[in-house]
Amino acid sequence: MLREEDKKQIQAQLKDMKDPVRFVFFTQQMAGTCQYCIETETLLKELVEISELLSLKILNYITDKDDVKSLSIDKIPATAVQADKDAGIRFYGIPTGYEFAAFLQMILALSQGNSGLDDILKERLHQIQNPVHIQTFVTPTCPYCTRSAFTSYQFAMENSNIRADVVEISEFPHLAQKYGVMGVPKVVINESHSFEGALPETMFLEHIEIALKKE
Amino acid sequence: MIFDVLILGGGPGGLTAGIYAGRAQLKTGMIERLMPGGQVAGTELIENYPGFADGVAGPDLMMAMEKQARKFGLEIMTGTIESLDFKSAPKKVVASGKTYYAKAVIISTGTDPKLLNIPGEKEFKGRGVSYCATCDGPFFKDKDVVVVGGGSSGVQESLYLTRFVNKINLVEFMDHLNAERILQERAKKNQKYTFYLNHQMLSINGSQKVESVTVKNRATEEAFDIPAEGVFIWVGMNPNTEFLQNHIDINPWGYIVAGEDCQTSVPGVFAVGDVRDKEVRQITTAVSDGTVAAEHALKYVESQEN
Ligand SMILES: Cc1cc2nc3c(=O)[nH]c(=O)nc-3n(C[C@H](O)[C@H](O)[C@H](O)COP(=O)(O)OP(=O)(O)OC[C@H]3O[C@@H](n4cnc5c(N)ncnc54)[C@H](O)[C@@H]3O)c2cc1C
Repeated sequence: MLREEDKKQIQAQLKDMKDPVRFVFFTQQMAGTCQYCIETETLLKELVEISELLSLKILNYITDKDDVKSLSIDKIPATAVQADKDAGIRFYGIPTGYEFAAFLQMILALSQGNSGLDDILKERLHQIQNPVHIQTFVTPTCPYCTRSAFTSYQFAMENSNIRADVVEISEFPHLAQKYGVMGVPKVVINESHSFEGALPETMFLEHIEIALKKE
Repeated sequence: MIFDVLILGGGPGGLTAGIYAGRAQLKTGMIERLMPGGQVAGTELIENYPGFADGVAGPDLMMAMEKQARKFGLEIMTGTIESLDFKSAPKKVVASGKTYYAKAVIISTGTDPKLLNIPGEKEFKGRGVSYCATCDGPFFKDKDVVVVGGGSSGVQESLYLTRFVNKINLVEFMDHLNAERILQERAKKNQKYTFYLNHQMLSINGSQKVESVTVKNRATEEAFDIPAEGVFIWVGMNPNTEFLQNHIDINPWGYIVAGEDCQTSVPGVFAVGDVRDKEVRQITTAVSDGTVAAEHALKYVESQEN
C-alpha cells in the first residue's frame, strides 16, 4: 500500500522514536464480513518494516476472546497501539488519508513517552479519577479531524482512566446512526455528552469535565 | 530554539514559503493549528492548478506539498497562534501555550468560512449544518440538502455533493450566480439542482437535527420553508488576523496590508496568500506569494547577520 517514497518520508518522520511501540491488530479470517480488515493488516505490516522499534501482533476477533475483552475491543478492524503499557489508544477502521498523519504523530508521541501537552493541561488531566471513554468519529478526507483524534490520544497518554477510540465512521454506518453523526469530527464522551468540530485542547478538556459533572 | 524563519499557517502559501526557505538552508519552522493543507485540504478536485491536466484531489496536492517542504527540512509544529511580539529581537510567537522565536516571520493563516449568522446555524453545526463537503458529504446520501452561496466555492462544492445527495436547493442572495461560467453550466445541466436566486436565508429549523430552512424571496417578500436535512454554507471568507491587531497594519476588512513584495508594516514580517490584501485569491497566487516572501525573508535574515 505504501510506495517507496512514502516509506522514506515515514522513516524520516519516525526517526526520533525512542521506545518500542506495538500494534495489536484484531481481524477476522472470514472474508466479506470486514471490509477493510485485509487492507489495514497490509498497511500495518508495511509500517512495522519501516522501523525496528515497531512490532505487530495479529489476533482474531472471534477466537481471541480474552484479548478482545481485556482491551475492550468491540468492532473490527481494530488496532490497539501500545508502548510499555496499554494507554487505551485504539483506532477502529483503516487509518488512511489525513488520519494516517495523526496516526504517525501518535506513534511518535507514545514512543517518546511525551504527550506534548503543556504543564497546566497535564495537571488538570491528572486530576481526573473517574473512567472517561472518548470516541472521536472521523473520515479520511476531513482535514479538521486529525486534530481532535490526536488530542484524544494525548489525553489518554496522560491518565490511565482515559481511553481514546478514534473511529473511521464511514466503515461503521450503524454507529453513525446510533450517535447521529452528520458531520465530523464528532466527539462522544462516556455516552452521555458530545460535541462537534475541532476544538483547542483546553476546550476539549472542558467538555470532559462537563461530562463528568453530569454523571 | 530560534528559527531563521517561522511560518504561521500551513496552506499552499505557507508550505511554498517552507519549500523555498528550507531549500535556501534557512532553519525553518511552521506552526499549524490542524494538519497542513489549508482550505485546499477540504476541496475535492482542483482543476486549475497548472500541471494536472485531469485535475488533482485537494488532499493529494497538499500532502505532496507538505512532503516536499519536509524534504527540505521544514519542521512542522501543531499549535494555534495566540499572541506575539514583533518589537523584540528575535521576534516572539506564542502558540497553544508554547513560545517560539524567529528572526523573520511569514504570516499565511489564510481565511475561515464566513458564518451566515442566522438562527439555527450554530445550534445545528455538525447536525446538518456544514462548511466542508469532503468531510461531511457522505452523511447525506440520498437526502435533500440546501447549499447557500452561488459563488465559485458554493457551486464547485455542490457539484461534488451531487454524487451523494438526492436534491440540491441552491440559495443565492443575488439575482444571478457568481461562479465561474464553466461551473454554472455544469450545475444548470444537472437535474439534481433547484435554484432559488434572489432569495435570502432567514433561519435553519429542526428539533434534534436540521429539518428545513426558511427563505425569503427578495422580489415578492414572500417567506417559505424548504425541507432539507443538510445545509452547506459557502458565503465568503474572513481573514484569520485577530491575533495581529495592533501589531501590523490591517485593512478595514481584516486583511494584512502588504504589496507584491509581501512586506508588511513591520520589517522582517511578511504576509502571503489569502490573508494578504489582494485581488485574486487562488492556490496559484498563494504559491506565488510564498515564493516571493521566502526570498525576501532570506535577504532579511542575511542582513541581520551582517
Ligand atoms: C470551497 C473552496 C474551493 C476552492 N477551490 C479552489 C480551486 O479550485 N482552485 C484554486 O486555485 N483555489 C481554490 N480555492 C481557494 C484556495 O483554497 C485558497 O486561495 C488557498 O487555500 C489560499 O492558501 P493560503 O495558504 O493563503 O491559506 P489557507 O489555505 O487558508 O491556509 C491557512 C492555514 O493557516 C492555518 N491557521 C489559520 N489560523 C491559524 C492560527 N491562529 N494558528 C495556526 N494556524 C492557523 C489554517 O488551519 C490553514 O491550514 C477554494 C477555496 C474554497 C473555500
